[in-house]
Amino acid sequence: MADATTSGAGRRVHFRQGTVLKAAVLAILIALIVLPLLRTVLFTLQPDTVRAWSDVLTGRLSTNLFYKPLGNTLMIGVIVSTGCVLLGGFLAWLVVMTNVPYRKTIGVMATLPFMIPSFAAALAWGALFRNDRVGGQVGWLQGMGLDIPDWLAWGMVPTLIVLTLHYFSLAFTIIAAALATVNSDLVEAAQIAGAKGRRILMGIILPVTMPALVAAGSLCFAGAVSNFATPALLGLPVRMQTLSTRLFGMIEVGQVGRGYVIGILLVLISGAFLWAGNRIVSGRRSYATITGKGGRAKRFDLRGARWPLFAVAMGILSAATIVPVIVLTASSLAPSSANLFSGWTLHYWIGQSDPSFAQGIPGIAYNEDIVRALTITLALGLAVAFTGMVVGLLASYTTARFREGWMSAAITQISFLPLLVPGIAFGAAYIAYLGAPIGPLPALYGTFALLVIAGTAYLLPFSVQTGRAVIQQVGGELEESARLTGAGFLRRLGAITVPLAIRGLAAGGILIFVKIIRDLSLVVLLFTPTMPVLSVLAYRYASEGFGQFANAITVVILFLSIAATLIAHRLQSKSQPWLQN
Amino acid sequence: MLDIRNLTKRFGETEAIKNVSISVPDGAFLVLLGPSGCGKTTLLRMLAGLELPSEGQIIFDGQTVSDGDRNWSVDPAKRNSGLVFQSYALWPHMSVRGNVDWPLKVMGMPKADRAERVREVLALLDIGPLADRYPNEMSGGQQQRVAIARTIAPKPSVLLFDEPLSNLDAKLRVEMRTELMRLHRATGATTVYVTHDQIEAMTMASHVAVLNHGRVQQFGAPADLVDHPETAFVATFVGTPPNNMVPVLKNGTGYKVGGRHMPMTPPADECLAMVRAENMALSDTEGDTTLPMELVETSAIAGRTMVTGLRDGLRLTAIVDRAPKAGIGDIVQFRLPPQPDSWFGPDGERIG
Repeated sequence: MADATTSGAGRRVHFRQGTVLKAAVLAILIALIVLPLLRTVLFTLQPDTVRAWSDVLTGRLSTNLFYKPLGNTLMIGVIVSTGCVLLGGFLAWLVVMTNVPYRKTIGVMATLPFMIPSFAAALAWGALFRNDRVGGQVGWLQGMGLDIPDWLAWGMVPTLIVLTLHYFSLAFTIIAAALATVNSDLVEAAQIAGAKGRRILMGIILPVTMPALVAAGSLCFAGAVSNFATPALLGLPVRMQTLSTRLFGMIEVGQVGRGYVIGILLVLISGAFLWAGNRIVSGRRSYATITGKGGRAKRFDLRGARWPLFAVAMGILSAATIVPVIVLTASSLAPSSANLFSGWTLHYWIGQSDPSFAQGIPGIAYNEDIVRALTITLALGLAVAFTGMVVGLLASYTTARFREGWMSAAITQISFLPLLVPGIAFGAAYIAYLGAPIGPLPALYGTFALLVIAGTAYLLPFSVQTGRAVIQQVGGELEESARLTGAGFLRRLGAITVPLAIRGLAAGGILIFVKIIRDLSLVVLLFTPTMPVLSVLAYRYASEGFGQFANAITVVILFLSIAATLIAHRLQSKSQPWLQN
Repeated sequence: MLDIRNLTKRFGETEAIKNVSISVPDGAFLVLLGPSGCGKTTLLRMLAGLELPSEGQIIFDGQTVSDGDRNWSVDPAKRNSGLVFQSYALWPHMSVRGNVDWPLKVMGMPKADRAERVREVLALLDIGPLADRYPNEMSGGQQQRVAIARTIAPKPSVLLFDEPLSNLDAKLRVEMRTELMRLHRATGATTVYVTHDQIEAMTMASHVAVLNHGRVQQFGAPADLVDHPETAFVATFVGTPPNNMVPVLKNGTGYKVGGRHMPMTPPADECLAMVRAENMALSDTEGDTTLPMELVETSAIAGRTMVTGLRDGLRLTAIVDRAPKAGIGDIVQFRLPPQPDSWFGPDGERIG
């Protein structure tokens, strides 16, 4: 029978399968993630910097350096995460479980705020609510003759509101996904047992979705405590400090040791909460709801409350999405934010330098700094998208193919480590890591390479997750069956893997691109005048009182983010013959 | 000749396959039968060359293709074998023709020959009209046929199947079984087939290896397994309905069989008595060898009735000519034959 004869071309398998690949990936991850963090810790333990620990924790200045910012940070974390879970949970319930009108629209809008950088919302808040407390231009409402009190214009309250309106969409996504798995069978079984609405909610739906609620809460907490832009723009002018603004301030004034200590403490706090959240939901309390053939969920009838609840939801969602976009756009056109909607000019966009206007700063189209920043930002986005997808794919391929062994476990753990590290602390760690020369390698501070490496490392949890989704699409038996035909690695890549994975790869790359171009917290410390990026420029302009330029730049970032996200969505849903059914 | 010698596979600490040796002649239909988690798929993957054995050798036609002792392995593609995956693993972006054609293209077959061979195997599997469809445009049964066509197109001398029928509905499964046997006759390829379904094993195999916990419990022809089960596991896993296994314990001078004293002479103080369902009977009255059981199931089978009783975790099945008058939940008397069909030790080994 055999006409393709066994050629007998055997080969010796020197290592256990995958050892070399696993070791290589592990080395990359250690270099990208573990060493920077380790180096930061070691830096603070040197003889001449170890004092920073006592300064921060017990010294005369510790109240101002650490404890007050810590109090503010924790307050922000607790209130924002509670608010996010309530708000996100409410919207998720409306969209998934009820017959509220325009459910799909609400669902799409609830995911949008996360596309808007959090500093955009903070800038918009300023354009609306600024009062004359710190000088400079006042906001639109004050300009309209309303007297905006300090507590609403600056400090804790606006920070809490802006952060809640930013992070609730994260909670929404998680809770909605969990609610969607609550099969109508579960609810119907409870109804047959005689339970009524409230009882079903408390006895069935809440316990089943509890893991998602806890996960959403702890992720929002970690996001809120590490957020830099919002407290910096709304709190710093009135000296409200959080750990992340303190960390920024310390490094800006050259007290690097103290800055690193604060950064380490910030990592520990947000890490502790994520870990605790994970502990609560793991094990016995996490439920795999069996989806099976559950029919279409029967929706809870809101009756007369349908339209009122719709109005509430739309009100909240507009405040989080449409209003900031309108305000930012208007404010980039209006000479005075007190008069947002009159005297519009395109000067801030395309005006030439004019000494009588904005201290001679030309519009952003003619501003060399900004054009350069735009180029660098785009290049950074592309570079990080590429390197991120390469490393992410490599890591997820390795762990999917060779599951056994401590090295695979280590790869998984390390690749998700940056989730625990706030962006600004990660930036600080990279200064400690690559800011000074290592052996023959030159210092990378102020170079494009540093931004790319740090960005790749910082977004690794995200790219590994994307990589995993791609591998799941094409991996396992599909690849094995190609291997059985004898096709070599490159041939399999070209004929099987790439055609199947290309859309997922492209979409993942674009989303990484979006994340990096609108990021502020990571790059704010790595920024140098020779290597400017848009988000930091916007922040600088805003803190120097040139709100219009800041807002115009933010509108550019917004436009880029939204356009790229739409392209990604289109790619993901673009039809291909084998997907039509 | 397909030869497996002292094969062992370890994943970290756990031994998935323990010292397995099996040998079948060319053209055999070998079924690896066992419950889930017994290591049968691992064994198949080692045959395909996707896993390297930790110890032992695999030999196809006198040629060693895997040697765990020397860390030697012939590339999966160069073993002249083909594997049909449980999930079918059809490449979703290629049409049926593309799926079957691509492996031939990789082999370097000229274009005209390829077209001819694709037409031939599609016709053999009765899916010629579907050549231009994509996998997601077909039913599970059709996808299964494409997967098989793709595997046999390069004419492998060893064909490997990983639970190929488990995703099909009951009726289609019976049809595909016949189809696979026809295919086996048509290609003449030595076939290794993994399943947990003992009916598939009994109907298709020329040789069966029953696996449990990574060990071969028994290797032989299907009829051997039914007539002479070597272990209690085989006796209860193979056959329709499964054999009864009644615990026997020495008590004073006599023996308790299924909890009741009976005049039997077992070969050991503690053992298991195997009774075939067709040798088990029902009785209206208590007797020397009757056991009172709660009636839990009756079902009509080919003109006779299968009756199942349950008591204290002991489950007995009898095939009788007439259905009992008792209703479900009533007590009925199961009568054991004076001498059971075989004896097994407490460790499951056959002792008589």
